[in-house]
Parts: sequence; C-alpha cells; structure tokens
Amino acid sequence: MEAFQGLLSGFQVALSWEGIMFVLIGVVVGTLIGMMPGLGPISAIAIMIPITYGMDPAPALVMMAGVYYGAVFGGSTSSILLNAPGVAGTVATSFDGYPMAQKGQAGKALAIAAVASFIGGTVSVVLLMLLAPALSSVAISFGPPAYFALMLMGLTAISSLSDGSTLKALISAVAGFMVVTIGIDPQTGTQRFTFGSVNLLDGFDFLIIALGLFAVAEVCMLVLNRRNNSLSDSQKLGSLKLSKSDLKEMSGPVSRQSFVGFILGVLPGAGATISSFISYIFEKKIAKKPEEFGKGSIKGIAAPESSNNAATSGAFVPLLSLGIPGSGTTAVMLGAFLVLGVQPGPMLMVERPEIFWGIIASMYLGNVFLLILNLPLIPYLAKILAIPRPMLISLVIMFSLVGVYSISFNVFDLYMLLIFGAIGFFMRIFSFPAPPFILAFILGGMMEQAFRQSMTISNGNLSIFVTSPLPLTLIIISLLSFLVPVLLGLRKKKVEV
Amino acid sequence: MKKISMTLLLMLSAVALAACNSDNANGDSNGDGGDFTPTKPIEMVAPAGAGGGWDTTAREVAKVFGETGILEENMAVINKEGGGGAIAWAYIHGKNDSPYNLFVSSPPLMFVPLNGQSQYGHEDFTPLANVIADYGAFAVREDAEWDDLNDLFDDMKEDPESVTVIGVSAPGSMDHIQFIRIAKAAGVDVTKIKYVSEQEGGTLTALLNGSVDVYSTGVGETVEQVRAGNIKVLGITAEERLEGEVLSDFPTAMEQGIDETFVNWRGFFGPPNMDQAAVDYYEAKFKELSDSEEFDEVRKKYGWNEMYMDSEEYKTFLDEEKKEIETLLDELGLGN
Repeated sequence: MEAFQGLLSGFQVALSWEGIMFVLIGVVVGTLIGMMPGLGPISAIAIMIPITYGMDPAPALVMMAGVYYGAVFGGSTSSILLNAPGVAGTVATSFDGYPMAQKGQAGKALAIAAVASFIGGTVSVVLLMLLAPALSSVAISFGPPAYFALMLMGLTAISSLSDGSTLKALISAVAGFMVVTIGIDPQTGTQRFTFGSVNLLDGFDFLIIALGLFAVAEVCMLVLNRRNNSLSDSQKLGSLKLSKSDLKEMSGPVSRQSFVGFILGVLPGAGATISSFISYIFEKKIAKKPEEFGKGSIKGIAAPESSNNAATSGAFVPLLSLGIPGSGTTAVMLGAFLVLGVQPGPMLMVERPEIFWGIIASMYLGNVFLLILNLPLIPYLAKILAIPRPMLISLVIMFSLVGVYSISFNVFDLYMLLIFGAIGFFMRIFSFPAPPFILAFILGGMMEQAFRQSMTISNGNLSIFVTSPLPLTLIIISLLSFLVPVLLGLRKKKVEV
Repeated sequence: MKKISMTLLLMLSAVALAACNSDNANGDSNGDGGDFTPTKPIEMVAPAGAGGGWDTTAREVAKVFGETGILEENMAVINKEGGGGAIAWAYIHGKNDSPYNLFVSSPPLMFVPLNGQSQYGHEDFTPLANVIADYGAFAVREDAEWDDLNDLFDDMKEDPESVTVIGVSAPGSMDHIQFIRIAKAAGVDVTKIKYVSEQEGGTLTALLNGSVDVYSTGVGETVEQVRAGNIKVLGITAEERLEGEVLSDFPTAMEQGIDETFVNWRGFFGPPNMDQAAVDYYEAKFKELSDSEEFDEVRKKYGWNEMYMDSEEYKTFLDEEKKEIETLLDELGLGN
C-alpha cells in the first residue's frame, strides 16, 4: 500500500509538464548518443552531468535515467546497420541483426529491436516497481564464489557461439582470456604484460576490442569482397511491418528474456552485456532451429534486445535501494546523483520518495516515448545503408576512431583499434569466430578476480565453491549445460547407427 | 606548392613571435616578486574519468571560482583518465613551467609512483595548495562481533588471517595502506593481513553478504549504510571527531588509544618549474576559495573537511608523508 502511494507521488513527478519534458529530452538525447557507434550510455551520462548543475534533483534525475535507458535503446541501431556495436550490451544483437540487414531486411531488424526493447524495458519497470525493496537482498547475496560460478555459467556458452569448429571457438576464447589479463592486476597491484608502457596499465577498454573485431574487421571484409556487393543488396529497407508470424516468433524469447535480463541486471557486475549474451545463448539452446541463429534470426535479435533493456532497469535496483553501482555506467549515474546532492541508498525511498518513485514512474513514460520516437525514425535510419559504399566505409572507420578516442583521449588507443581490426580480419579469413573472444574478454576479468578473491578469503581452499548453496547450484547448472548436449549428441549418434 | 610553403612560413613566424612574447612576459614576472595574472583560460586536469572524487573536486572548484569571480579567467576542467593518474601526470609533466596547466590530486600521487606505475610523483610537480581533507573509515556489519577497533585488533593479533579486509584500491594503495597503518600502530602483524580488492560497489556487497569482514573506505561512503542500520564504523583515521549528523558518532582511532592517523588530502599542483609569481598567485586564490562561503557549502554537500596548506607547508607535509608510506611498503614487501 505504501508502495502504491509512493508510486502515485512518483507519477505526480513524472506527469508534471516539467517531468514529461525532461523525460523526453533525456530519451531523445540518449537515443541519439546511443545510436552513434562508439558512444554508449557511459558517454551519454557523462556528457549530460554538467547540464544538470543547479537543476532541481527530481526532474534532473528523471532526465538522466532517460539518457541511460535511451542510450541502451538506441545502441542496437549501429549494431544492426553497421555491425559496429557502440555499447557492450548490443554486441549480441549484431550476431543476427547485421545478417538480417544484409539480407535486405534492415527495417524489420530495427523494428524487432525496438519492439523487443520496449517490452523488455516495460516488463522490467513493472518488476522494478514491485520488487525493488525485496530484491535488494537477493542482489547482495552474491559473494565472490557465487560470481565466479555465474561467470563460469556464462562461459559454458562459448561452444554455442560458434557455427563451425568448437576447437577454433575455444582458441578464440583463450585469446580473449589472454588479452584481458593485460594491465594492473587489482589483487596484487602488479603490472602484467604492460612492457613498461603507461598506456597499457588499465588494459584494453571493451570498445577497442568490440569496434576492432567487429566494425573495423567488417570494413576490411567489405573492401575485400567487392564482387559480392552485399551492401547494395541491403540498400533495400525491406518492409517495416512485422507480420503476425514474426510477432508470434518473437513473443517467446521476449517474454522469457525480459525476466532473465531483469534478474541479471539486478546483480551488481552482471548487467546488460552479460544478460544479452546469456539470453542469446539461452534462446539458441532451446530453439527448434538453432541453425538459424547467426544468420538473421528474429529470435536472435529479440532475445538480446529485450534482455539488455530489461537489465538496464534492473540495474536501478541496487543503485536506488542500496546505493551500490553494479557497473561502470551506474557508477557514473551514481556520480550524477551525488552532484545533485541526492545520496542513493536504503534511505532514499524513505527520505526522498518523490525521487525514488519519480524515476521509476518516469520509466514507463520514457519507454513509450522511445517506441513512438523510434518506429517512425526507422526508415530514415536505415537510409544509412543507402550511402555509397566507399563513403559508408569511411564513415564507419571515422565513427570507430572517434568513439575509441573519446574513451580517454589517447592516440595510443587508436593504434590498438587498428591492431584489433587486423586481428579480427585474419580471424575471419581463417574462420575463427569473434564472439567467443569477446565473451571471454568480458567474463574473464571478473571471473579471475572473483576466483582469486575467493581463494584469499578461504586461505586457498577450493571447497569454498561448493559449500554454500548459491555457488554450488550455479556450478551444477554450468556442468549440466556443458554435459547435456554432449550426452544428447552421443545418444543421437547411437540412434543413427 | 608555393602557396603552402608561404602559409607555413607565415605560421612559423607567427609562432616565433608568440614565443618571443611569452618569453618577455615570463622575463617580466621572473624578476624579483613580479606579479602574475592569467590572461587566458586555465586548464584544470582531473587525472580520472567523469564522476570520481578528483573529477568532482575539480569541477566544484572550477564552478566556485567562476561563480564568485575569485579567478579572473575561466577554469576549464579536462578529464585525463588512465593508469590511476599516470597518464595525466605524464601529460602535465610535459607542460614544463606553464602557469596555465593545473591538476588536482590526492594520496594516489604517492601510491601510484611508489607502486612503480608512474614515473612522476609529487616531487616532480609544483605543489600549489591543499584545500580539503577526507578520512578513512573501517566498517563492519551491524551484527559483527567487534564493537571497537581494539576488539578487532585483539582478534587480529591472535590470528591475523582470520579476518579479511576489502577495499577498492589494489594492495599497496590507499584503502589498503590506511588500514595497515592503523593496524600496525595497534600492534598487528601487518605482513599477514588478508586484503582483497574489488571494484566500486562490489565492496559493500561483499561486506554485507558476509564474504569479507572489514571494509576500508572513505568516511563519506559509510554514512548512508550506517543510517540504514546495515553497518557500523569501528574507527576513523582522523585526529579528532568530525562534525555533522552521524559523522560525529564515529570514534577516531586516536581516542581508542591507537596513536596513528591517515589523511586523504586533496589539493592542487602545477607543472614542474612553475614561476614563483604564479605559485604565489594561485596560493592566494585557493586560500580565498577555501575561505569563501560558497565553497563551505560545497564542503558540506560532500562531507569534506577544510584543510588549507600553502605551497611550502604542503611540500613539507607531502615529503614526510611519502617517507612514512615508503617504510610501510618496504615492510610489506611491496616497495620497489
């Protein structure tokens, strides 16, 4: 009942003309920034912080929240159209979005992404509203051993991220693990593989790897395969309308993955990236036709898109109710709160209910705005593909360079982008899949830290992973998801014999 | 071609002229006690990304300078992220003697070079003024068995490995060393203390769910959780109790009979060989800022404490502080 009253006061904030205006500004700015390859929610929020100076906290934070989920919403555009994911959370969207756009169905791919994002976002706001207070205790029950087990579960997906040789997928993943160890080791403060260069102290930013392996490598392939003329085919926008069967096909993944995304978003550290991968793999594993994935499957777009948007609202649970930022993006968001003199945490709901509930209520509105804004924009966005190829290639390279440079304004990063572009190019030529590399890069760092933290805590005793129920359950699930397909495969062979 | 070379020539001569000009300007002010007044915007580097402590300090200071008109010129804040500050420091070091390139810093300016991650430390720059102080706090879960630091340290004296400490920074850096410093003064065998590092946010989670026992952090980070009744602060590293709601309840290590403190100082520096006139100028401006009502509001907003030191005092303070940290790191086997 108290929550209901709180929500009513929240809607008062969100539905005031001031609230509506700032939600609108937030989501428009967020989508626009998110659409640019290389600029994601972190940059979007950081750019907007100085603008909020001196503003009233409630509308300012409603706007900042809008910038955040707006950027995640818009992030899929460059993944689908250019294979240049600007946000970690939309890498998985490019696996099927880009192939679909290449088949001349760019409009459909964008529409699927928009609808899935809308549903994912809305479902998770409902969950956020109902469960925020209760879920905060779940979020903090994850200690280092449980995180290790969770990352392990994510890794069992590597084999399903490749179409060809499992061995090549594993080699690619090992390379990803190796690259993520570069930089200062947080557990000892020792430098690893930095060769004395200050530029390598922090390791590689995710964007350098993602834009290198995907965007730059793709551009190289385009230049190489001039005869295929794949881009001129895709100049066709294709129909925007989603047929009944399309909607039916995406309804399953969207309804499942909105929940999965929300839950993973609640966990500090997991967030949109990991949830989009897990959702993608989840759907591929249970799909009747898994072979369609990676070639422009509707489910392959709907799953990660509903999931990453759901995770975005999920990430507000620990932020608002515990004051704990679960990711780099929410850490910057926390900074935005503090600048406005608002301390998120357990007392926020009690002391500043209009802010707590105002943000939640504004998200309903924001998601509706995003859908209304994005659907009519799609034909114009998809025109990007009609740009003559030489120009498009230059644009992709330019945006990648600008995106990487804007991380830390360091020219060194630009060389690294080109090197990873070259690596990605050769990986394609010799058909090593890039997704396992990127998955290992994302999970590997956190997995290693969680493992070593656990070892320090337990004085080196491995039993810490199996003595408490949460990590044990997760490890059993990972073992099953690894073993079941192998066993099923064996049985199938026997039957065939 | 001819056109291009002409343009180049013009540009070169313009640069040369400008250089003469600035030489003259320096020559004037270099004289005995000449005045320095900035004639163009001042660049203030925050050696980290947007949203962190350095960034907030730099932006609030620039804002107050602008609003009050204390500073004649604009101050533009620039973020230079990377290597825990090392990248920004290398950048400023290259601005030898420029009076227009300042940066904000705090104890990592010692820890990072001592851990071998930066070529440059505080002695390579010109300290201008320290402005604020922050202190460390050691927090445990509300239901933990320890009620004050002596309870905790008594257990740790018996078995240092029975307790795990968590912090954001890597071993050998701030969160770790502030705990080590107090624990050592209390007589704990500091070489055996278990410390894990976790990114921001994860630290509090790990404390609350029981994965670790003690959270070493800044005072400000604990207030909200203390008010919610989730954690209790066993001790803080300040010399005297702080002012403010909740804050004034935190006991210091000193009052618990542990004769040691740790200050998370935050102040401003310029490139090496900065002109004395410019140093005098900034010293006075930061003093004016520190005494202003507007900045007092800012301090209150973030829970910072006033701690002004002029250039001379600051340098002496930093030199002494560094010696102490060096000894501690050597003892831990983390020194270089």
